[in-house]
Amino acid sequence: MKTVVDNLRREAARLLAGDEVKMVIGYAAGTDAARTTPCFATTPEQAALLTWGPLCANNLVKYLLDYRFEDTRLAVVVKGCDSRAVNRLLQDLQFPRQRLVVLGVPCGGQLDRASILSEIPPGARLQDIEDTGEDLVLVTDKGRLSFPKDRFLMDKCYRCETNMPVVADFLAGEPVPSPAREGFEHTAEVDGMEALDIADKSSFWDNEFSRCLRCTACRNACPACSCKECVFEQAVPGWQQSGIIGSKVNSLPENAVFHLIRMFHVTGRCVDCGECERVCPVGIPLRLLYRKVLKDARILYGAGTPGMSTETVSPLSEFRPDDPEEFM
Amino acid sequence: MPRIGVFVCWCGSNIGGVIDCPKLAADAGELPGVVLSTEYKYMCSEPGQNSIIQAIRDHRLDRVVVASCSPRLHEETFRKTLARAGLNPYLFEMANIREHCTWVHNKEPEKAQVKSLALVSRAVAKANLLEPLFPSSIPMTKRCLVIGGGIAGIQAALDVADAGHEVILVEKEPTIGGNMVKLDKTFPTLDCSACISTPKMVSVSTHPNITLYTYSEVAGVDGYIGNFEVTIRRKASYVDHSECTGCGDCQTKCPTKVPSEFNLGLSTRKAIYIPFPQAVPNKPVIDAANCRYFTTGKCKVCQKICTTEAIDYEQQDTVITEKVGAIVVATGYQLFDWAAAYGEYGYGRYPDVVTGMHFERLVNAAGPTGGKIQRPSDQSEPKTVVFIKCVGSRDPAKGKEYCSRACCMYTAKHAHQVLEKIPGANVYIFYIDVRTPGKGYEEFYQRTISDGAVYVRGRVSKIYQMGDKLVVRGSDTLLGRPVEVEADMVVLASAMVSSSGIQDVARMVSVQVDKDGWLQEAHPKLRPVETHTGGVFVAGSCQGPKDIPDTVAQASAAAAKVCGLLSREELATDPMISTVNQAICTGCGLCVPACPYQAVELKTITERIPGHAPRERTVADVNSGLCQGCGACNVACRPGAMQVKGFTNDELVAEVDAICL
Repeated sequence: MKTVVDNLRREAARLLAGDEVKMVIGYAAGTDAARTTPCFATTPEQAALLTWGPLCANNLVKYLLDYRFEDTRLAVVVKGCDSRAVNRLLQDLQFPRQRLVVLGVPCGGQLDRASILSEIPPGARLQDIEDTGEDLVLVTDKGRLSFPKDRFLMDKCYRCETNMPVVADFLAGEPVPSPAREGFEHTAEVDGMEALDIADKSSFWDNEFSRCLRCTACRNACPACSCKECVFEQAVPGWQQSGIIGSKVNSLPENAVFHLIRMFHVTGRCVDCGECERVCPVGIPLRLLYRKVLKDARILYGAGTPGMSTETVSPLSEFRPDDPEEFM
Repeated sequence: MPRIGVFVCWCGSNIGGVIDCPKLAADAGELPGVVLSTEYKYMCSEPGQNSIIQAIRDHRLDRVVVASCSPRLHEETFRKTLARAGLNPYLFEMANIREHCTWVHNKEPEKAQVKSLALVSRAVAKANLLEPLFPSSIPMTKRCLVIGGGIAGIQAALDVADAGHEVILVEKEPTIGGNMVKLDKTFPTLDCSACISTPKMVSVSTHPNITLYTYSEVAGVDGYIGNFEVTIRRKASYVDHSECTGCGDCQTKCPTKVPSEFNLGLSTRKAIYIPFPQAVPNKPVIDAANCRYFTTGKCKVCQKICTTEAIDYEQQDTVITEKVGAIVVATGYQLFDWAAAYGEYGYGRYPDVVTGMHFERLVNAAGPTGGKIQRPSDQSEPKTVVFIKCVGSRDPAKGKEYCSRACCMYTAKHAHQVLEKIPGANVYIFYIDVRTPGKGYEEFYQRTISDGAVYVRGRVSKIYQMGDKLVVRGSDTLLGRPVEVEADMVVLASAMVSSSGIQDVARMVSVQVDKDGWLQEAHPKLRPVETHTGGVFVAGSCQGPKDIPDTVAQASAAAAKVCGLLSREELATDPMISTVNQAICTGCGLCVPACPYQAVELKTITERIPGHAPRERTVADVNSGLCQGCGACNVACRPGAMQVKGFTNDELVAEVDAICL
């Protein structure tokens, strides 16, 4: 892990010093022992702040969208799952490849912040992280805290599809074993949800959506959400409405409508990075929703997880004159 | 606040006989935005339309809803009514309470009453959000491209040219004439095909308004209705046709013989050749693949013999572009490859099992046998001839599901010709049904029966060679017993299929191909020669199997449509097309591949934002000449930047709400 961090800092400093990029987006030490924070290094000195480890859950690719209309060159640090989002943004023409340097890091799995937080003494400061193979050990000023990997990783890591970046200009370390576990089949949790009868399914989701605050953190963290102006924010003031019937599009839709429309809008774009669920302040199992459409796209169209390459076309974004149109 | 007028039509008893129209009008009067709701026996009639105009004036209506029949029937009628009253014609919405309600629910009038109100509510909800739309105009290039020089293309080209417009006729073969000029006599009048088609071919070549490009192919079509830009690739013929006099000496002296395509391999031609004596243009081309000079580097006999020095071995393919306003596709048909599909008929191994087209060449006075019916194997005169119909047609298992339409008649004609030319001949015709819908067709069929043709209802299960005879084994399903005929020759009425290049042509002109491979017309009954792409028309058998009378009729119909188009100075475009809200367009480009008409492209705009330097951004852009308003881009667009005018998201959601909530 230490060599990876060294390599990353050296490469970032080199890119910044040579003016090859204006900014390197990576991770830096966080405010508590259980997290890192996104870091936007613009000078070679700031490159020394960069870090990497099992506390780097954020998908930094989303930040590229903040700079998409500028002409500066950027570098971004990506894990395997995040790298799919890079491909998706390239496919959607949201960021030109020539303005992007992808710094890949090998990922052995990310710790689930919610699970480890209760084990960490208040005020503990992180000094180092050790990987014993079975466990990840957080070395803090209040003692060594050991977290077995088979219990404390994020759920998405046990279902990891690629722990090495699918796209990278620079790789900061040698490949490491994937954190994927047996028994976490790609669709197992979705199968369980589908098995519910309609009434149970409806009440399950109604219950989940009823907690939604409409903070739109899921959307703001989502690398698939690249719209310049979200459909949910295109409210038309009364004096502009040409009619007296306020339609659903103009008014703020119900929570279920928000989530279901979002679900369809990210179909073929969702790279299953799990950021939506991680950032949700009320713990709505959003990945389950999006994994359902991932599974459907897989079964109906043979579509793989979006972003695995820039060649594959999203099933809902393709138009073929020889489409069998079986549904018509 | 919109002021909506609702006009409920009784349509005589079609609607008024099922639901209570005055009650519907009264209920509709309560809907939001409605200031007038009334009913009348026939809204589309002159008094009906006048009452709408009067109501618009009296009640200051600014939106009109008519609840009557399908918009397909009268939307245009009522739009014109609005225009006459001085209202924008697109401030109109129609509720279809006839086809969608009273016709299908005439046994349950109470429910029909509820449903008709729901349909009117939908229309009123949309009417509340309607906005005036304005057509724009595009200039018209008064020239027409015809693709394919068979009888359909010839007829269309001549009709358009006679109306005074320039025509460019492109044919991939060295001569025009297509399939028709290969035929002998044509049913039911038995006039000679060449006698009626070659004069037309000559008219094409001499017509001052027609530019003929033979041995050429359309390589690309850009642009849109009124403004197409067509790329045509002229294949090298290695003969300078401006020098050549068509004397034919080169053809006589050429040492290389290859099977003649025109005679379907029943005779040979030379490597430098004119396909047949009446070809237009009557100038030779060199088949480089078989030419001795091109394959071995030695020969040049044709160059030595040519007195006008027209032979040019250095000639290259040339590419030319032409601007046209309309395109007629007339690429015709070819015969189904029966040999690949019908093992029981010998996979093409038996030389005396031929197709109807081979038979046409054998019986043709200008054909390889001089019109004497001979077996290809030994040139003997067949005494017993078996005809098998529906080979590849009406056979979804091996061939096509459809009926090829012309085979019943040409088989009857073939049978008649065998019985006429070979005294004492026996003719057996295996058929599934005999279909003779056409003027004089049934009479011709009955005449063939009285000539002595034996019609056997049933399919043939096997043909095999025994000595110099072909044993044809089938069944007579009317008598319910197997039949076996020892034949000298078997003629297969093989199915018509669309020409091999149809997919490429269809893609270039953005016309859909149906499940059977034919070009898709815009409407099977009401728009039979139009396509869904504006300015592109279909003529002849590229749209479906046809005989000559139907082909010529359709070609003239397409020509009439082209003339209608070319008679205008400029074109009003349908305003109900896609529009991009570039402020929210993300430039993801998903709409570009989603557009079946290549109407959307990405362009770079410079955006000015207060406090920032101007920045460049990519956004989608709709070409109003190409867009047909189908809405495919609309559903592909996730930010909702793409909207079809007249079908905006707001309007559609308001309609759904009105019906469902």
